Amino acid sequence: MTIMPGTRRLLTTWATLMALTIVSMVSARLDQDGWQALPLWSAALVVLVTGFKARQILLVYLNLRQSTGAWRGAFIGMITLTLLLISAGYLYARLM
Amino acid sequence: MTRHDPAPAARPLPNPGWGPLSALPGNPLMWVLILSELAVFMAFFVLYITERAAQQALFDTSQQQLDPLMGGLNTMVLLTSGLLVAFAVEAVAARRIRRTRQWLAGAAGLGVVFGAIKGVEYAGKFAAGITPETNTFFGFYFGLTAFHFAHVLFGLVLLALVSWRTNRENVETAAAFWHMVDLIWILLYPLLYLLR
Repeated sequence: MTIMPGTRRLLTTWATLMALTIVSMVSARLDQDGWQALPLWSAALVVLVTGFKARQILLVYLNLRQSTGAWRGAFIGMITLTLLLISAGYLYARLM
Repeated sequence: MTRHDPAPAARPLPNPGWGPLSALPGNPLMWVLILSELAVFMAFFVLYITERAAQQALFDTSQQQLDPLMGGLNTMVLLTSGLLVAFAVEAVAARRIRRTRQWLAGAAGLGVVFGAIKGVEYAGKFAAGITPETNTFFGFYFGLTAFHFAHVLFGLVLLALVSWRTNRENVETAAAFWHMVDLIWILLYPLLYLLR
């Protein structure tokens, strides 16, 4: 039988995910008038926050904490690789 | 079942006899689907960012037509729905079937709210004459979000089915799919709405 995350951990994770969503929206400078490209630090923060949120969903909501290290590594590796490729494409467009 | 958390090696596997998939909760075949769906979305994400690099001015101009606040609101709706599904898994593990169904109904209700917000967004775009044919960016926008929305609809059907046939394996299986839908949106939202 799988050990469940428990109500407290689920609520903490949910609160963290909600807060990080707001952080990523603020990082993307949605409060500013007019449309402009993000500073690189803002874009980096958006990507990092996204990666952390995805990790929390995998480990707590999907409860991969209770699975094997290989599965955790496979899923987190897949997300990390995707975010790295997205970052590379974004940087290429910005710097070229 | 107690909350005692033994060392991973000492724990019985959720699906013994399924080889590498035996350590995953719910129906192992759902995890095959989840992995393949993730791979498909990842490929589309990479294709999107490659096209964005090739047509940055077009993508920048088009991206201004999106409403990141609506996308952010939908992110929060899905995250909360995911929490309710996780509560449903906790409840079914404790054999609280009525409570499980209540959490599943709440999660499905928020799934419908997600769809309604998406519908408002689509309606706004169509009213402004923006369609998937408008340009490459909107082809990706409508294609990716509609493909994701199709998964939301399938997830809603799964949640309804496991509310009817409520047992631990079924609920864990539907929950795994629903969390995947959540996970994909978590990646899709910054890609389409925030990174500019």
